[in-house]
Amino acid sequence: MSENTQMRQFLLFVFTLLIPCFALWTVASPSIALPAIGLVSKLISSWFPDIVNAFYASGPEAVLMTEFGESSGQLIPLSQAEYRLGFQINTRILSYSLPFYTALHFATQKKSYLYDYMWGMLILYVLFIFGLICLCLKELMVNVGAPFFNQPGVFIPSANVIAILYQFSVLIVPTLAPAILWLWQSKDSQLLQGVFVRNVDS
Amino acid sequence: MLRFVITFLLVLVGLFTLEMLGPVQEHVITPFTTILARLSAALILPFDNSVIAYGKILEFKDSGFAVSIEAGCNGVEATIVLIAAICAYPASWRARLIAIGLGFFAIQVLNIARIISLFYLGDWNMEYFSWIHLYLWPALIMLDVLVVFIVYLRYLSKQVQPAESALE
Repeated sequence: MSENTQMRQFLLFVFTLLIPCFALWTVASPSIALPAIGLVSKLISSWFPDIVNAFYASGPEAVLMTEFGESSGQLIPLSQAEYRLGFQINTRILSYSLPFYTALHFATQKKSYLYDYMWGMLILYVLFIFGLICLCLKELMVNVGAPFFNQPGVFIPSANVIAILYQFSVLIVPTLAPAILWLWQSKDSQLLQGVFVRNVDS
Repeated sequence: MLRFVITFLLVLVGLFTLEMLGPVQEHVITPFTTILARLSAALILPFDNSVIAYGKILEFKDSGFAVSIEAGCNGVEATIVLIAAICAYPASWRARLIAIGLGFFAIQVLNIARIISLFYLGDWNMEYFSWIHLYLWPALIMLDVLVVFIVYLRYLSKQVQPAESALE
């Protein structure tokens, strides 16, 4: 099969698989996010016990509840507030890496699929958890502000680091990570035919 | 391989951090995004005179629906990924510069298609707009980057093979 035919076949399969993969993910994304939300909830509740009350799933979104209330746009102690301040977090802006990777992976002709696929999904899920932590840090930085940064005896990354981690996690990682994983796992496929490794290692 | 990965990550993080700086945003990214909005409007106007563009915003005069082209919607991040991959890969600087130029063009052509399609989609249905804007189009743009990079790899590979054959 010529190189051009392989490329055309790959693109045809990717476009054919993208829609069902994204459709399935849209339906399953609340369930997919549950373990990650549970893990991040434990982590940030113990990291910021005076700031974070809970982090839980609410449909396709997650909700980050704080230990503060709000009145006229001002942060106030919970004891003086009528309700607890919380923020909605869209987990799908991170987890769409999973259907994208699935489409790329199964659109490529390979000898075996499942072993690499499981590893790829595991790596992407770890990145998804890390991205969720970055999203929570960004919400706390922007919406809680000084009380978040002034917690005594708690390590808080600087505002610039949180901003860069957030942008990187949301804008770059969900699309780049599946692409890199696919490139690495498909380096011996007919499509790439060793060009990647041969040239890099030469 | 390790050298490729380290160079790729260094260039990627370096360019991404540079893009986030205030002066770069003000003097490069925002004007570039404005040009994209105007270009999109210029492409739409011959077919639809109900569209206007001001700054980074495209707007329907009749319905009032408007979109603002923000960070992440201007194809800069995708271009940064492509530049990092091309710079990390062993090749002549001439080949790299040509690949970056053509890759930038390929990304922006698709990005303008994204902007225009989302503009009309948003005017019709906001739910579909959000879904396609947030999840599907970013994946398609990265697929574009991937295809450009693979085509570049194959081009380089073909350049090496005749040289190797000549030496045999």
